[in-house]
Order: sequence, then structure tokens, then C-alpha cells
Amino acid sequence: MSDKKERTLIIAAGAIVGLFGALLVKFGNPKNMGFCIACFLRDIAGAVGLHKAAVVQYIRPEIIGLVLGAFIIALATKEFKPKGGSSPFTRFFLAFFVMVGALVFLGCPLRMVLRMAGGDLNAYIGFVGFVCGILCGVFFLNKGFSLKRSYAQPALEGAGISIVMVALLVLLVAAPAFIAFSESGPGSMRAPLAIALCAGLIVGAAAQKSRLCMVGGIRDVVLFKDFKLITGFAVIFVVCLIANLALGNFKLSMAEQPVAHTESLWNFLGLFLVGLGSCLLGGCPLRQLILAGEGNGDSAVAVLGFIVGAAFCHNFGLASSGNGTTPAGRIACIIGIAVCAIIGFMNLNNDQ
Amino acid sequence: MTYIATFFSHFGTIKFKKLCDSKGLPAKAMPVPRSLSSSCGTCVRFECEDLSIFSEYPGELDKIALQEGNGYREVYNSSES
Repeated sequence: MSDKKERTLIIAAGAIVGLFGALLVKFGNPKNMGFCIACFLRDIAGAVGLHKAAVVQYIRPEIIGLVLGAFIIALATKEFKPKGGSSPFTRFFLAFFVMVGALVFLGCPLRMVLRMAGGDLNAYIGFVGFVCGILCGVFFLNKGFSLKRSYAQPALEGAGISIVMVALLVLLVAAPAFIAFSESGPGSMRAPLAIALCAGLIVGAAAQKSRLCMVGGIRDVVLFKDFKLITGFAVIFVVCLIANLALGNFKLSMAEQPVAHTESLWNFLGLFLVGLGSCLLGGCPLRQLILAGEGNGDSAVAVLGFIVGAAFCHNFGLASSGNGTTPAGRIACIIGIAVCAIIGFMNLNNDQ
Repeated sequence: MTYIATFFSHFGTIKFKKLCDSKGLPAKAMPVPRSLSSSCGTCVRFECEDLSIFSEYPGELDKIALQEGNGYREVYNSSES
């Protein structure tokens, strides 16, 4: 694949994500939340009873589609490669705290871009924190940070998370009594199942082919002055911005933004934690879902870390709301930054 | 001849780049080309006439591929060695 073709693929993937980011809102998802890996995994955690926040419980088909889209395209193109064993326990905790940071800010890096494209100025402050977090992560990478190598695994190990996603789809369609469906709040706002699932499948396949990653793009600019991956980031923003303007969903302000708060310090620190943790994990939450679909068991463990982190955030009052952050959330965010820094230092290699 | 070496972590990339520098081989760290891998990790592109110049490869090395036109041919895979 030539450099030009690689760039075209990233631009196309960014355009698809940006377009669906706006259209899913049109079809029923909460505003500026066409996609949000953190919010949607949190909704799934609630739907299966891991937390009891009644307003954020729904098995989001977008997540199922993202993983299965990546799984199917990886199988079709012989890129399904089951592997794992690269410090899974450490990855679980990094992911746990990435989720804490995301729910203090109220969104993953992808939703940060969608919020920026919707005119939410709080997300621009978060973006600065996100970049600073990645810069800290790059510091650790350059000092010799490594979570050690992964090893080939049996096919079933690599396909495990995709099988779980199929099971979640069955539960979503069958809707047994023990699965929770929000009747009000963000969890009740959802695009029709078929549309959301198809959007997830298409974006999952596009993200697998293009390697779209919110963290990787900034990391490559800092490390190598390589702008290929970050182009996808920019295209998501531009396409979603145009679509939001066309659909009347653009409002430039800090106050009264949907599913957002105006506490700048915590918007900054929340995404600082997300940037740092994701850089150490080797990719943003979206990228972890895609890698998990490709057969990476370490990323599947990270996804479990996100889900458990989300459940903790709502069970122990760490998650922010439109009213702002919580004291427990602020403390957890600081602890998360400290834990990521300790993990960074403890995994440095000195024999460079 | 131009080769691309991929690694299990960025630490491997840094270490191998330094190894190439110490042997006087022109080398550049960069993102892994998409046609070589679906991984979004980092790699080293280096010029070398004879790979036997490396008495042993660092443990973090995953693969080495020879650049042929716009494509690559794998010449070393750690999982097969």
C-alpha cells in the first residue's frame, strides 16, 4: 500500500466516522454523542446490572458493531491474529483509570472531537489536557516504557470478545427482564438498533483498515513529525462540524452543552488522564475495541477494564454529570494520574 | 537494500535504532507502514547489505521485512525462529 493510498484510507475513515457521528444524533442518540466509547461501554455496564444508574443503561449496538466490524474485516483480509500476554493486569488498571478520566470529562477522545465539532468549548480545554497527557506518555515511551511483548494465542482466545458481542446482541434483541433499558436520560436516547449496528459495523471496518486512533495520531506527530494518522482526527472534526451546521446541531458556548459540564480544570485533568493512560496502553478506547476485534486479547482485557471502571464510576459517585464533577470523581482522577505515572516509571527499561 | 524492522513495543524501536546507529547503518524510526501490519506501532527503516551484521536481534524484535517496490517481503519472524 502506497503512502498516498494509506492517507486516502485514513481520510475516508475519518469522513465516515464524522458523518455517522452527526447522523446518529439525528437518528436519536444524545447530542454530541453519535459515538462515545466511554459512554457506550458505561451504558452496557448498566444494562447488564454492573451499576444501578437508571439513566445510563442500554446495550449500545454501536459497540457491538465496532468490534464485529473489525473482527469480520480482519478475518476477511487475513489480519485476524490472536495474541496476548503483554501485562494484561497492568493494562486492566490503565484502562480502568482511563475510564475514570473519561467519565470525569464526560466522553472518550472520540466524543471530545464530536463535542468540539458541536461547538462545545469545554471540549477544547479537554483537548489541551488530552495532548498534555499524551506528551507525558511519549516521555515514558522515549525513556524505555514497555508492557513487554505479546505472544500468539489460540483462535478462541482472540475471538472471545467477538463472541461476547454476539451474545450481547442476542440479549439486546431478546430483551429479557434482567437486562436494563433506561426510560429517561441519555440511555433512553438511542438511534434505531439496525442503524446503530450498521454504523458500528461500517466504522469498525473502516477503523481497522485505516488504524484510526485519537492517541496514535498525536503520538506520531510528536515522535516522528508524521501527520498521516492525525489527518483522520482532523477529518472527523471537519465532516462532523459541517454535518452539525447543516443539521442545526451546532452551538458555540461553554454553558448548557449537552452531557457536559463547565469545570475547566477537571475537563483538562480528566482528558489528561485519558491521554496518559491511553498512550501507555498503546491506543485510545476506540482503538482498543478495534484491536480486540482483530484478536488482541490484551486489548480485550483493556475493554473489560473500561467496563469495570465505568461500573465503579457510577456505583461510587465518581462520574460527572451536567451539574459538574463530584468530590469522589476529582480524587479518583488525581489517583488515576498518580497510578498511571507509577505504572510508567515501574515499567521503564534501563538497558537502552 | 532497505529493510523495515517491527517491534513488540516502542522500547524495541529505540533500542534497535541505536544498534543501527552504532553499526553505522542509515536508520530512521517511524510508524509501521499499513501494508506491513495492522498494528499502529513503531518501526525502524534501515539500509543494510547483509543482515548477518547483526550477531543477535533484540528480544523485542517482531519481524524484519525487505522493501521490494511498493511492497514488502518478510525475511525474519521472531515467532518462527
